[in-house]
Amino acid sequence: MTTPRKKPRKTRGESLILRYVVLGSWAAVCLLPIIWFGTIAFRPRTEIITPTPIFWPTFSLDAWYLLISDWPIAKYLRNSLVAVAGSVVIDLFLAIPAAYALARYEFRGREDIGFYILSTRMMAPAIVAVPIFFLFKNMGLLDTVWALMLVYAAINLSLTTWIIRSYMLDIPKELEDAARTDGAGDLRILWEIIMPACLPGIITAAVIAAIFAINEFLFTLLIASTPNAYTMSVALANFTGGSDGVIYNAIALVSFIAFLPILILVILIQKHLSRGLTMGAVKG
Amino acid sequence: MTKLLKPLSRRAFLHRTAAVGLVTGTGGLAMPALAEAHLPDIQSVLDSISVSGYVRADYRELYSMNDDPLWDPAKDWIRTVDWDKVRTELGGTTVRFAIGAADQESAASGLAPFEALSGIKVELVPIPDDSIYDKAIAEFISGNASFDALQFFSAWLGDFAGPGFLHPLDDYAAKWALPLDDFYDTYRLNYGYFGGKLVGIPFDCDIQMVHLRKSVMEPILGGPIDLANSVPSYDELIRITGEANKLGGGVAGVGMLGARGFWSTYTWEHIAAQAGMQLFDENWEPTLDTDAGNKGIETLLALSKNAIEGVAGAGWGENRAAWLGGQVAANISWQDSGTQAMRPDQSQIVDDFVTIYEPRIAGGVFAPPNIAGSTSVVTATSQNPEGAFLMLAFLTTSSIMAMNEANANGVAPGYRSVLANEKLRAVSQPMKVWSDSLDHAWCSPRLPGMFEMEQALGNEINRAITGQITGKEALANGQAAWKVIMERQGFYGDAKPVSYADASPGTYVGAGKPLPF
Amino acid sequence: MAAPKRNLKRRSPGLRRAFPYLLLTPALLYLVAITLYPGIFAIWQSLFDVRFQGWTFIGADNYTRLLQDREFWAALGNTAIIGVISLTLQTAIALTVSYFAYRDPFIRGWRIVYLMPMLFMPSAVAFIWKLAFNDGRVISNLLIRAGLIDNNVDWIGNIWLARMELIVADVWQWTPFLFIIFVAALQGQDQEIEEAARLDGASWPAIFWNISLPMMRPVIVVAVTLRGIDITTMFTNVFVMTQGSPGGATETMSYFIYRQGFKMFSFGYASAASVLMLVLTVIVAQTVVKRAFRSGKSA
Repeated sequence: MTTPRKKPRKTRGESLILRYVVLGSWAAVCLLPIIWFGTIAFRPRTEIITPTPIFWPTFSLDAWYLLISDWPIAKYLRNSLVAVAGSVVIDLFLAIPAAYALARYEFRGREDIGFYILSTRMMAPAIVAVPIFFLFKNMGLLDTVWALMLVYAAINLSLTTWIIRSYMLDIPKELEDAARTDGAGDLRILWEIIMPACLPGIITAAVIAAIFAINEFLFTLLIASTPNAYTMSVALANFTGGSDGVIYNAIALVSFIAFLPILILVILIQKHLSRGLTMGAVKG
Repeated sequence: MTKLLKPLSRRAFLHRTAAVGLVTGTGGLAMPALAEAHLPDIQSVLDSISVSGYVRADYRELYSMNDDPLWDPAKDWIRTVDWDKVRTELGGTTVRFAIGAADQESAASGLAPFEALSGIKVELVPIPDDSIYDKAIAEFISGNASFDALQFFSAWLGDFAGPGFLHPLDDYAAKWALPLDDFYDTYRLNYGYFGGKLVGIPFDCDIQMVHLRKSVMEPILGGPIDLANSVPSYDELIRITGEANKLGGGVAGVGMLGARGFWSTYTWEHIAAQAGMQLFDENWEPTLDTDAGNKGIETLLALSKNAIEGVAGAGWGENRAAWLGGQVAANISWQDSGTQAMRPDQSQIVDDFVTIYEPRIAGGVFAPPNIAGSTSVVTATSQNPEGAFLMLAFLTTSSIMAMNEANANGVAPGYRSVLANEKLRAVSQPMKVWSDSLDHAWCSPRLPGMFEMEQALGNEINRAITGQITGKEALANGQAAWKVIMERQGFYGDAKPVSYADASPGTYVGAGKPLPF
Repeated sequence: MAAPKRNLKRRSPGLRRAFPYLLLTPALLYLVAITLYPGIFAIWQSLFDVRFQGWTFIGADNYTRLLQDREFWAALGNTAIIGVISLTLQTAIALTVSYFAYRDPFIRGWRIVYLMPMLFMPSAVAFIWKLAFNDGRVISNLLIRAGLIDNNVDWIGNIWLARMELIVADVWQWTPFLFIIFVAALQGQDQEIEEAARLDGASWPAIFWNISLPMMRPVIVVAVTLRGIDITTMFTNVFVMTQGSPGGATETMSYFIYRQGFKMFSFGYASAASVLMLVLTVIVAQTVVKRAFRSGKSA
């Protein structure tokens, strides 16, 4: 680390004005598009694409009516929920033992296996999209939530494993040792000692996996092609192609419906978010 | 426009027709097989296929449509065919119909009247809308298609018909008196026949046209717009869109399809056809980079200077939004731009536009372009080709197609008797010009590999529109890409997938005919 | 880490050695199925001219065609250009904002505001910006009102403006990702060093540049690496906003592969492109990412 250069004169530290100008303007950049998009959800279609934009639109619930009367939105929500929840369960089921092995055992190839798991996170969806498409086609799973569930689980497995591993590394060994002297086996220790102790890590992993799964687009687009398997993410794209053209107010409405649960999940794990997002590499 | 590109269109239509009180099941796919003895009275089913049952209530009210037919009942196949004979010969059989999955539920109710009339049970095979081509090819090649009938983008007809995946329909058409002569030639030849055989029943019959905003263009033209003579040429269109573009106020001179892929190809084909362009010579050599082709792209590029910002990203959806939203003074797009713009629930220019006769190009021909569209076919491996044929004939019958148009859902009828109907013309502004134009239509031949070629060329034209290469370079690059694809498809070997003599009559049907204006 | 001593009296030595592998097996099998299988499938398929069930063996033809394909190289270049600019911008913004935010007691309670863009579905974000830039003319209109320009801007007709659209959408959505990580890192660092420097009279930019930044380096490397991986696979924004216009200037590798496979139906060709991209990924993974995570662990 370099030593700080000494300045000849004393400065008064950072200016509060500058601080709030920076923070305030970036907050505006974050919020204004969202607020404006919110107004789109509550205006009639004829006031969205116009010769000059309308900033004070007529209030309208058209998008709500469209969503309720013409679109199986409940089905899309259910598909999202089933596929995402299922994938998270699969992930935890596979990731917890794997993370335990990586965090608590010394064995040949540990580093390489850990890194292999990590590296699957780097696969571009487009690389595997074509083969996966054929794979599910051969399995007869195209256009089902089961295929989506399996894909989401695969996408997030590296993430969940590494997050949970990171939290397991933090657990003091004394806890285990005490149990071990009582004669507990390895699996019992995992179940009774390790898992409760790293519960925040498990929850963080589950939430982040869920968010990524909700947002997944390319695989969902390829695998799902009917309302049978459409999720919220692709249902959005569905408002773009019909004889009705791009239905922006419905798109806005759907995106806010999906935004709320994610917001709540994130508020729940806010403290662990940075650690989760870096797959455990950064401790928040 | 086609079902493929606008998967909602039929969904929305069929959804709205679910009110027809004939659905025997509780909806969805579960439709009990109809035993012949329990089939309802034929006439009452036919009577229910009517304006009040099929056309949106708000449009009926808007245009004071009563229950008078919007078609000619004498040419409406479902009202001429002998349903008793159908019931006797085919009642109790099953047809498996591959349908865009988004349409699945609504199609079930839309087909309920057919089941009631024929006693044929329809099983729907939902196919992902994006995968219809892929799925169909896969099934065809496997030699054991899981369905008897399907409808698809007509540009794919060559890919499917070339290798013999489609069932010839000539015999059934004759036996059941399908009114083929009621179709305009351009649709019958390009969406129906391949290599001299009938393999398809035209479904969505499209044409591209030119639409003008009255409030902007009448001052520029100095008076009311004459459909044929106010804008007699593309030079004049370039001039007035240039003038309009200077006016500002958020209204650009012209809108058109300039996005990558087939969109740009279609716009170029549209204009180049007026310069007399044909895509191939008699040896199947692509002739894109020719005088006519270059005149077409020069005109397109000149128009693009007056075009709305974002034209380089405009597919059908973006173009439609800009036109209906009042952002452009003129539009080059499908006929449904001229129908949907009449509908106040979607349009802000309801009484402020008119669809004109195709502008001409000096030294060229009057050749309004029949572009995209979709067709319906029976698979070669079908177990019940005759039943499948009857179901497709039902779906494409003139009364149902006429009511599609009245609903402005973008699925266009291709029947002379429908387009001549004065009551329908009252609710479809472009229809007079549109029907006159069809006798002169230009159409690209439906060749194996055509869809791929359209994509490849469109990417090059998009580069030209955005100034990255010249128009001539775009056509030369496109021509080279076409040669490679045609070579792969075997067009330069001994066994050509289709002979030039079979394909060429459909490419331009206006030769030697007097102009309609 | 030293090997933990295990009390495994009742187990055979073989089982003891195998135990960690057994724990890993289900996860590994799953990942192998979903990555190795597609990898091998892609390599195999890339040797064929695939017309659905009609596979014709053509050897390396797809690869030679690919290496001569202007659109392939353009997609590679676009991915790099868009990725580098976007990543640089969001790192710079996130560093700045997080530096001002991390100690502020007032902002602490409202930090969620800075995360909101990240919580929208990516496809929704793409539509927000498509409407704002293109269809709705909103940004043009704001610029006109501000007196900066006279006419609506043709964002999608200009190579750099179209790329900028994608960059804006990406920066807007994902700066929060870096922000939250940087804030955590800044909070975790030793406050005393900074305090000492402050007492020595160092200015705050100097403190940030010379003390905070070097301490954060491992965190920055990890976060930027993760973000970089995601940017190179950018698909949604391209699919919704530009589809590669103008003339392919915004076509990323992911979109190129998608278009070849699912629009042109040239699956063999798409697979060849996938394989080349896979090779690039493995190289990057073995060099940059491995190192980043090793150093990240010590953070």
